[in-house]
Amino acid sequence: MRRGSVLQLVGLGAVAAAITTAVAVLIPWLPESASKESTRIHFVYWFTTVIAIVVFAAVVAVLAYSVIHFRARPDDDSDGPPTHGHTTLEIVWTAIPAVLVTAISIVSAVVLAQNGRAGSDPLVVKVTAQQFAWEFTYPNGKTYGSLTLPKGRHVKLDITAKDVIHSFWVPEFSQKQDAVPGQHNTLVVTPTHLGTFPVICTELCGLGHALMRSHTDVVTPAKFADFMKNGESAGPPGLAVFQQNGCSSCHTFKPANATGKIGPDLDELKASAAKANRGPLDKFIEESIVDPSAYVAPGFSDGVMPHIYKQQISADQLQQLVQYLSQGAK
Amino acid sequence: MTDVAHAHHSAPASPTGWHRLTAPGWLRVLWVTPIGFGIGVGLPLLLRWAAGWHPLWDGTVLVTVELVTTPLFFLVGLGGFDYWAHYASGRPTRPEDHSGHGAHSWRDYFRINTDHKVIGVQYVVTTIVFFMIGGLLAMLFRAELAQPGDQFFNPQTFNVLVSNHAALMIFLFIIPAFAGLGNYVIPLMLGAADMAFPRLNALSFWLLPMAGLILIAGMVTPGGGPSAGWTCYAPLCSHQPLGQVFFNMGVQWAGASSIMTALNFLVTIITMRAPGMTFWRMPLLVWANFTTSLLVVIATPFIAGSQFFVMFDRVMHTNFFEHDGGGYVLGYQHIFWFYSHPAVYIMMLPGFGIISEVISVMSRKPVFGYRLMALSLMAILVLGFSVWAHHMFVAGMAGWLRVPMMVTSMVIAVPTGIKIFSWLATMWNGRIHMTTPMLFALGFLSMFVIGGLSGIYLASVPIDIHASDTYFIVAHIHYVLFGGSVFTIFAGIYYWFPKMTGRMYDERLGKLHFWLTFTGFNLTFFPMHYIGLQGMPRRVADYAGRFADINLFISIASFGLGASTLVFLYNMVHSWKHGEVAEGNPWRALTLEWQVSSPPPIFNFDEIPQVIGNPYEYGVPGARHAIFGAPHPEPVGAD
Repeated sequence: MRRGSVLQLVGLGAVAAAITTAVAVLIPWLPESASKESTRIHFVYWFTTVIAIVVFAAVVAVLAYSVIHFRARPDDDSDGPPTHGHTTLEIVWTAIPAVLVTAISIVSAVVLAQNGRAGSDPLVVKVTAQQFAWEFTYPNGKTYGSLTLPKGRHVKLDITAKDVIHSFWVPEFSQKQDAVPGQHNTLVVTPTHLGTFPVICTELCGLGHALMRSHTDVVTPAKFADFMKNGESAGPPGLAVFQQNGCSSCHTFKPANATGKIGPDLDELKASAAKANRGPLDKFIEESIVDPSAYVAPGFSDGVMPHIYKQQISADQLQQLVQYLSQGAK
Repeated sequence: MTDVAHAHHSAPASPTGWHRLTAPGWLRVLWVTPIGFGIGVGLPLLLRWAAGWHPLWDGTVLVTVELVTTPLFFLVGLGGFDYWAHYASGRPTRPEDHSGHGAHSWRDYFRINTDHKVIGVQYVVTTIVFFMIGGLLAMLFRAELAQPGDQFFNPQTFNVLVSNHAALMIFLFIIPAFAGLGNYVIPLMLGAADMAFPRLNALSFWLLPMAGLILIAGMVTPGGGPSAGWTCYAPLCSHQPLGQVFFNMGVQWAGASSIMTALNFLVTIITMRAPGMTFWRMPLLVWANFTTSLLVVIATPFIAGSQFFVMFDRVMHTNFFEHDGGGYVLGYQHIFWFYSHPAVYIMMLPGFGIISEVISVMSRKPVFGYRLMALSLMAILVLGFSVWAHHMFVAGMAGWLRVPMMVTSMVIAVPTGIKIFSWLATMWNGRIHMTTPMLFALGFLSMFVIGGLSGIYLASVPIDIHASDTYFIVAHIHYVLFGGSVFTIFAGIYYWFPKMTGRMYDERLGKLHFWLTFTGFNLTFFPMHYIGLQGMPRRVADYAGRFADINLFISIASFGLGASTLVFLYNMVHSWKHGEVAEGNPWRALTLEWQVSSPPPIFNFDEIPQVIGNPYEYGVPGARHAIFGAPHPEPVGAD
């Protein structure tokens, strides 16, 4: 190769690398990091990105150079030189990628091991997923529909599911784990930032999958101690039942700020009950929860609402929920 | 020899009178298929009545049995089993008169035809129809995703659209489109008159429209279509509406078709090579299909198993994947991915073969490092079976399995890298002709590098934990399967279009198609990396408001991408009828399919070629791949 063409090739590579680097750096690809684990994962991401930019720029440079310089005229019937291979070159481009992927593997394995360590005294929170709600149970036995965590402490999430597979993800924590029926999977999170972040289900789990959302509040250790002591969820007891059972994924109900659209609008409960004509409002609500097939509102299909609440909601809770719904209904 | 071969394939005497109803064909389909349907209804009713089970009429059971008997009897009616039925029942088999071979009119494409060239065209045209349908489904759900909230479809319909888009594209477009191109080209490249098992070949094609119709019928089934994603994870999948059964069974027919074709390819490649065609003289497309067929034969039975188990759980109330009954929930994913990861290579290796042909011919240079190219295919074949669990890094499988699976997934980048670099070296110093197939080959090369690199991110367990099940995955698989596989299918269709139809496609329209597709593809799928990493999960009809603008952009781009296919369709249809007549070898290629007329004679070669050299000896003075009319053909293996 002449020196001029080497320079040109390097120049093309530099331009490709500069553009790719700009795309990688100027666009905020990753969400802000809010946990120790996430910071480590971001490091692996950037480590891999540097290698990816070099490889991509090299390929694009050779491709562009070839298209520019080796393009034949339409009437050119000649053939290129009969090069069949080059052993040294082939060894080089087998060895270099092997070294690069080994480096990424080592970094990844180290980070994976670090991210699995929960320390000697982690806060253990049980996470139970079901269609289409999250339930978080603390060591003191209290259960909430959203997750509250202290900043700076190792948290070990003990994740399982009641019905089908779900997946727990907080983008700002970068940690994700499937919730599998019959299995207890663990995930370690060490929050580093105060704030409220979304909890998202990332495994297709049925009709309400897109709405299977909750949130996590990261608070100061002092506030967290207070929460553990007096952390009754605000509002009437029926609201807690409503939230824990994921009613808001499918139903609209203004008093609970619920906006689901899969099932009937509970703000219209009184009108629906009148149309259904199945006895008093309380009875109608109770029947609809424990035996959803008994009456299906026009425009909705049978079998969409799970038949699990008869077992899942205790008699006391059911009374609280029915009372809450009948009082809030217009 | 020539006269003899042509003498006994004169048009067969058409059956007359009652024989028209009993002869294989569409008339027989009309009365045999209802019998199959009747058996599908009657058999379960009879058995349930005899056993005293209630209710007598169980929709799920009926549908499951129907989806076996009706397609089977359709194939019986069409004549898919006639020859073997005669043989198996001890009756004298009909002497082969080659009446079922070759196409004399368009009608010959709509019957059991044993000519690999007819079957190849049947495959390619059928798969393009399913490509259109699959693309239309994608545009429907992109319309829904243009804004957050529910616009046009409820979540059930949305999930059906997403599931069937993937299922049609994978099982009825990419995999069989490669089978179709291979069907047409492989016997020609080997110097063979046909495939090893022409009747099996015909049968395996006709299973395909059956599978496609079953999947599409599932979408409009009362009660709701298959909506658990193309991955159909248990236990969700075992508890879906009735349409899910259509998915479970449709995949079986497509899988059976795939396995039969792979067996046929293997036997053809091993036993039907022309004299002098040693393994190291085979074109790389043949090598690619050889490795792919090994993958199919070993892996495809696993997806059949996974879908049967799910069907058993649903229909027979077994507990393979039901935790409450003692089943192992993650077992499904292990079995499913033991097929479906190798399936990624089933969808990629034949494309690698096509690209090797196109780049070498269009650069007028031998393939760089031919033997290493073939060996890297074999390396991918072996490694491909050891990486399946990288789809399960967050699934909660045995923790120790993660790092070994990460390492094998990383290592598979090495043989893939060898291929990329060798293609670049093939172009280096060449005389590059930027025809439409070459444009698609270069488009493939650049896009597949992006897909390969995002694959490295996903192979790294920590990054995968963040990115898994988000739009980053959607972006990655489309860079691999669209920027990868689909671009190679387009390259192959344009490259062999003159051979298949005897006419040239319109080069200007071909280039327009490439640039529209290339632009639309990148505008659609590149932003998905971003929304995925930022926090948008896949398979949701509704999403956070902050992703609204970028999703609107993606949706608009996807409509442009869909529209670009119209240019392709117009070019194909118009050029097939009115295109300039193609010569035998418009690309001045050396491989054997180009050494015969376009389209080739009905039995491919009037004389058996004698292979005397390598297939890519461009620039070597006086080099020949094969000669015709050799006085004493040398036996295979003489080098």
